[in-house]
Amino acid sequence: MWLPVLGLIVGILLGLLTDIRIPEEYSNYLSIAVLAALDTLFGGIRAHLQNIYDEKVFVSGFFFNIILAASLAFLGVHLGVDLYLAAVFAFGVRLFQNIAVIRRILLTKWSTNKEKIEKN
Amino acid sequence: MKLIKVKGKHVVLSLVCLVLGFMIAFSYHFTQKELNKNKTSLTSEQWEKTLDLRNQLIELEELNRKLQKELNQKQDKVLENEKDLSKEAEAYSTLAEDAEKFRMFLGKVKVKGQGVSVQLSDGAYDPHEDNINNYLVHEHHVFKVVNELYISGASAIAINGQRLTSHSYIICNGPVITVDGIQHPAPFVITAIGDPEVLTAALNLTGGVKDQLVNDNIVFTLEEKSEIILNPILGQS
Repeated sequence: MWLPVLGLIVGILLGLLTDIRIPEEYSNYLSIAVLAALDTLFGGIRAHLQNIYDEKVFVSGFFFNIILAASLAFLGVHLGVDLYLAAVFAFGVRLFQNIAVIRRILLTKWSTNKEKIEKN
Repeated sequence: MKLIKVKGKHVVLSLVCLVLGFMIAFSYHFTQKELNKNKTSLTSEQWEKTLDLRNQLIELEELNRKLQKELNQKQDKVLENEKDLSKEAEAYSTLAEDAEKFRMFLGKVKVKGQGVSVQLSDGAYDPHEDNINNYLVHEHHVFKVVNELYISGASAIAINGQRLTSHSYIICNGPVITVDGIQHPAPFVITAIGDPEVLTAALNLTGGVKDQLVNDNIVFTLEEKSEIILNPILGQS
């Protein structure tokens, strides 16, 4: 259990310490990639809570979504259409839905636990 | 087998977490840098504000310039007016001086200056002369002296301290003479303001006033005075 946390910390440290300069126009890709990653992460958590978690789906979805979102934004920039807005919208909506589902599942779990305790 | 599987799962998860952490941190870092950069440069809002203020400034400066021009024009006008005023004041002051002078001539004010004093006294009693009029001072003697003094440039004359004006009259009234209705007995002191040298010379002219008066047995005393004060005429408008 400590390994993913360690990975997260190492990732954050790396991100803060690296001083890679990327052009300003690519910041859109970065933000959309972060959004995609967050979306996939919450999707994974929800799937885990609903017991339909598949590691392959999660991992592939994680990376594939990031790349897809970035490339979509890239395409949008080159076509002159703000396609990244579509990605932001889609990911944002899904993010909220996932979080809502997670909350509901956690709530039901918590209430059932409480009932169990009361019964005991 | 299970342990390895769990471990593999964790490794994959940690890899995902690493990527996620990296991306979030990098994005945060990047955005922070962008913000810092933007802080130094002007944001569009600030730029607009600056532009607005600059426009206002320009407007105000234009207004200022216009007002300055107006001010200059007004100042020029004021200067002109002041010049006019000073001219007027000058005219007024000369007028005032003239008025003062005329008043002096008219005997409305006290006058002071150097001049001469002539005293005319009746002659001493002479038993050989049976006509008393021959050694009394008559008004025509006084006239002669006064006229002579006026002709030689006296600016103010008084008889026994009474100022003479342009419309004064002198009449013989028995033993006295009347000047403007006021009787004066002999001796008559005629004081005149003017150049004493000129006046003296005029009176002492050979065959002139002095000689004529002396011929009429009148005691004629001429005195030069450095300061004569003549009082204004009283009781007259």
